[in-house]
Amino acid sequence: MFGNRDRLENYDPQRFRTKIRAFTWLVVCVFFLLVARTWYLQIARGDTLRQRSENNRIRIQEIKPLRGLIVDTRGDILVDNQPSFDISVIPEIAKDVVDVGLRLANLCDWGGDGISFEKASFKSGKPFIPVKVARNIGRDKLAAVETNSLNLPGVVVDVVPVREYIYGDVMAHILGYVGEISTSELERSTFAAYRADDIIGKYGIEKYLDGALKGKSGGEQVEVDAAGRRLNVLGRIDPVSGYNVVLNIDSDLQKVCWDAFQEKAGTAIVMDPRSGAVMAMVSKPSFDPNLFNRGISGEAWKELTTNPLCPLQNRAISGQYPPGSTYKLIVAAAALEEGLITEDTEIFCNGTYQMGDRTFRCWKKGGHGTVNLHRAIVESCDVYFYHLGEMIGVDRLAEYAEKFGFGSRTGISLPGEKEGLVPSREWKRKRFGESWQKGETTSLAIGQGFVLVTPLQLLRAYCALANGGELYRPRLIRRIETTDGLTIGEFFPEAGGTIPVSKKNADILRYGLWGVVNEPHGTGWALKRGEKDVCGKTGTSQVISLREDEDEIADDDIPYRFRDHALFVCFAPYKDPVMAVAVVVEHGGHGGSTAAPIARRIVDGYFGLERERGT
Amino acid sequence: MKIDRRLLINFDWVFLGVVLLISVIGILNIYSASHNLYVRGEPLYVKQIYWLLVGLALMVVTFSVDYHTIMRHAYLIYLVSIVLLFLVSLYGTMTHGSQRWLVLWGFSFQPSELMKLALIFILARYFSDHTQEGYHAGSILILLAIVGVPVYMIARQPDLGTAMFLVLLFGSIVIFAGIGRKIIVWGIASGMVLAPLFWFVLKDYQKERILTFLNPERDPLGTGYHIIQSIIAVGSGSLWGKGFMRGTQTQLKFLPEQQTDFAFSVFAEEWGFAGVVVLMFIFLALLLWSLKITQSARDLPGTLLAFGVTMFMFWGICINIGMVLGIFPVVGIPLPFFSYGGSSMVVLMMGAGLLMNVSMRRFILQP
Repeated sequence: MFGNRDRLENYDPQRFRTKIRAFTWLVVCVFFLLVARTWYLQIARGDTLRQRSENNRIRIQEIKPLRGLIVDTRGDILVDNQPSFDISVIPEIAKDVVDVGLRLANLCDWGGDGISFEKASFKSGKPFIPVKVARNIGRDKLAAVETNSLNLPGVVVDVVPVREYIYGDVMAHILGYVGEISTSELERSTFAAYRADDIIGKYGIEKYLDGALKGKSGGEQVEVDAAGRRLNVLGRIDPVSGYNVVLNIDSDLQKVCWDAFQEKAGTAIVMDPRSGAVMAMVSKPSFDPNLFNRGISGEAWKELTTNPLCPLQNRAISGQYPPGSTYKLIVAAAALEEGLITEDTEIFCNGTYQMGDRTFRCWKKGGHGTVNLHRAIVESCDVYFYHLGEMIGVDRLAEYAEKFGFGSRTGISLPGEKEGLVPSREWKRKRFGESWQKGETTSLAIGQGFVLVTPLQLLRAYCALANGGELYRPRLIRRIETTDGLTIGEFFPEAGGTIPVSKKNADILRYGLWGVVNEPHGTGWALKRGEKDVCGKTGTSQVISLREDEDEIADDDIPYRFRDHALFVCFAPYKDPVMAVAVVVEHGGHGGSTAAPIARRIVDGYFGLERERGT
Repeated sequence: MKIDRRLLINFDWVFLGVVLLISVIGILNIYSASHNLYVRGEPLYVKQIYWLLVGLALMVVTFSVDYHTIMRHAYLIYLVSIVLLFLVSLYGTMTHGSQRWLVLWGFSFQPSELMKLALIFILARYFSDHTQEGYHAGSILILLAIVGVPVYMIARQPDLGTAMFLVLLFGSIVIFAGIGRKIIVWGIASGMVLAPLFWFVLKDYQKERILTFLNPERDPLGTGYHIIQSIIAVGSGSLWGKGFMRGTQTQLKFLPEQQTDFAFSVFAEEWGFAGVVVLMFIFLALLLWSLKITQSARDLPGTLLAFGVTMFMFWGICINIGMVLGIFPVVGIPLPFFSYGGSSMVVLMMGAGLLMNVSMRRFILQP
C-alpha cells in the first residue's frame, strides 16, 4: 500500500535535479519564444496590424451627390431629381427576416418578383448592415410600409434621388438617360474615377456632360463594430452637387416640333442661323428616358432595341440620308463660284438627260422647258442640275461640299454623331477599288447616289447661307452653372469656317430659295406666309432608284421601307433670318407635300411664340 | 486537528501572491473585455470573482489536508472523474457543437478540467508505488489505459484540445518520473507513425481547424477568423498598447471568445508589448517558483505532484498564448488563472493548493 515510510526516508532530493533543470530550461526557452513572437507581432509588424485594426473598425461610407439639373434657355426645368424609395431590412433588428418578408409582401401586395428575400443575402456575418430588398416602390406602398412600421421591425426606407425627365420622350434624344455604370465601363480607363454603383449618363447630354452633372461624392467616416453596427461618425465631407446645365433648347418650341410631326418617323431641328444655337431637336419615334431611371426591365429594353424604327437613334445627328434636291444649293454655289454659269445661264429641259447610254429623268414629266438658275432652283429642275454636275465634276463638287461642312462631324455636344459621306474619285477607288463613272456625278448633282448627310449638317449649311457665310458649330449647351447660379462655363458662337460663296452669289441663291416658297410653281408653296417670309428648299431622296423603264408609281403601292425620304430645309425671314429649320420625314414621300407642311407648322409656331412673348 | 507550527512558518506566501496577482490582472482584463457584453445574471467579472473565492476556499482545503492523505484517494478521485466524464457523455449540455458541460445543483462545470488534476494524482500515485522496479510491458499497458480512457472520452465530446493536453501532461510526467529511454523513443516513434492515421479519425471541423491554422487566410470569415482577428488585436497593441478598455478589436467585438480563450489577446491589445513582457515575467515567476517547489519536495509523491501541477500550468500557458499568437492551432485551452471560466479557475486553484501543500510540508515527514 501507499505511504511506505522506508521509501520516503530513502528519498534522495537530488534525484530529479537534472530533470528539473532541463524542464526549467524548457520553460525559459518556451517563454523566450513566446515573447519573441509577441515582439514580432507588436513591434516588427505593429504598424501594419494597427492599420488593419483601424480598417476593421472604420468604414468610409460614400454619400452620393445630387446630379445637376438641366434647364432650357428660359430656365424651364427639363430634368429634375425626385425621391425614389427603396426598402432595406436590418437582419439583427428584424430577427426573423423571412417572417418580416412575408408581412411586407402581404402588406404591399407584392408579387414574387417585387421583393427579393433570399436568405443567403442576410448571411454576411454583419447583422447590422441593411440588406436591400425592394427598389423604387411607389408612394402607395411607401405609405403602407410607413403606417405599419411597428409590425415591421428592422424595415427601413431609403430615399434615393432619381432623374425625372419632365418632358419624357419629347426631349429623350437631347437629354439622354442615366443608368448604373456597367462592369465593362468600369474596366475602361476613362471611368477610372467612378465606382461600382455610380449612376452615370448613358446617352445624350447626360452622357456628354456627365463630368459636370455628376458632382462629387462626399463621405462619412464611421466607426462600426464587428456586427456592422454604426457607433460614431468620426468625420464627414459633404457631397458637392453636380453643376446645372442650361441648354439653348426652347421647350415650347420643342413641343411645337414634336406635335408638328404627328406619328411620322423622322427629325426636325431648329437652329438660330446667327449663332448656331440649337433651339429644338426632335427625333421620332422616341422613348421615355424615365424608363431607365432605376434600371430598365429586360422586356422594355428588348422592345426598344428590336423595334425596326430604332427609337433610340437620334436621327438629327446619326441619321444619314441622301440630301436629294436640297443638295442643289451646293451644286449651284459651286457652279456660280467656279464661273461655270451666271444667274442668266439658261438650259433647256425636256424632261430627260442623256449620259452615255443612261437616261436620267427630271422629276417633272415633259420637262420645264427653258430655265435659268433661279427657275431651276424654284421649280427644282433636275435636268438643269444634271448639266451643272457634268460641268463641275465630282472632285470639285466634293471640295465645295466639304467647305459647306459635309463629310465631317459638326461637333455638336452629343455623343453618337455621324459624319455623312462626300464621295470623290479617290473615295470610290479606296472604297470599292473602282473608278468613278460619269453617270454617278449626274446622280450626285441632285443629291442622290453615294452622298449622305445628316439633317444637322444640312441645316448648318443652309444657316451659313442665311447668315452671310459663317459655318457655326451647332450649340446645344448655353451655359454650365453651379447650384447657386454662378456661371462656370459659357458656350459662345464658334465659327467652323466660312462657305466659299461671294456675297453676290449668296444673294442669288437666297433669292432662289425665297422663290421656292413664294413664287408660282415653287415646290415649297406650303410655307408661303404673309409676313416673316420663308426661304427654303424641298428634297426627296430616293431610297432605291427606280428603273428607267418604270413609271412613277403611287407611294402607297411601295413598301414602307422603300419609300422616299421627304426633306425640307428653310430659314426665315428672308431679310436677316433669325431661325432655320430642317425637317426629314423618313419614307415620307415628297419633300414638298410631306416635309414642307411640318416645317410650316414649326415656322408658324416659332413666330407665334415670338409674338406671344413679345420679343 | 492539531496544527503544526512549522506549517505556518513555511507557508508559501510568494506563490499565493503570484497566483493572486495573475488572477486579479485576469479579472481586470475580463472586466475590460466584457463590460459592454450583455449576459444573464451577474457581469462576467463578478462571476469570475466568485469563482476565485470558491477556488481560494478549495485551495485552503487542498493545502490543509496533507497531500499524502489525498494521494491515498488518488484512484478514487480518478474513478470519480471517469464517472463524471461518462455522465457528461449521457447528460452533458451541448455548446458550440460539443458536449463538455455537466450541470449539477445549478452549477455547470467541465469534468474534463477535473480530469487534468485526477491524472496528475493517479500518475504520481502510480509512480510512487512502482519505483525502480523497471517498467515492464504490463505497467506500460496500465499507464496507457490510465491516460487512454479519459483521452478517448474527452476526444469524443469532442474536445480535441483537452485530449491532447492530457496526452502532453501524461507524457511530461512519464518522462520526468523516469521511464526507460528506450520506451520513450519507442513511444515517440509509434506516435509519429500513428499520427497520420489519426487524421482519419478527426471530425471535419477539426481537420478544418488544423488546415486553417497552417494557412489562416484560406477561410478568413470562418475558421481563420479567430486567428486573424487575434493576430490583429495583439499586433495592433504595439509597444504601449491602446490603453485599458480602449482596445478597438476587443471593445468592438472583432475578437472572438475574448474573455475566455482569447483573453490574452485583449491584454496584449490594451497593454502592448510592455504589458505582455511584464505579464510573461509573472507567469515565468509562477513556473520557476513551482519548479523550485518541485525541487524542494521532501519525497517522491510530493515531487511528482508538484511537477504534475507545474506542467498543468506550463502547458496551459504555452498552448493558450501560442494559439493567441498564431503559432498553435485554435483549441479550447484556457490561460491559467487568467481566462474566464469557473471549472478551470477552481481546478487550478486546487492545483495551486497542492503545490503549496507540498511546499509547506517540505520539512515535515509524514507522521
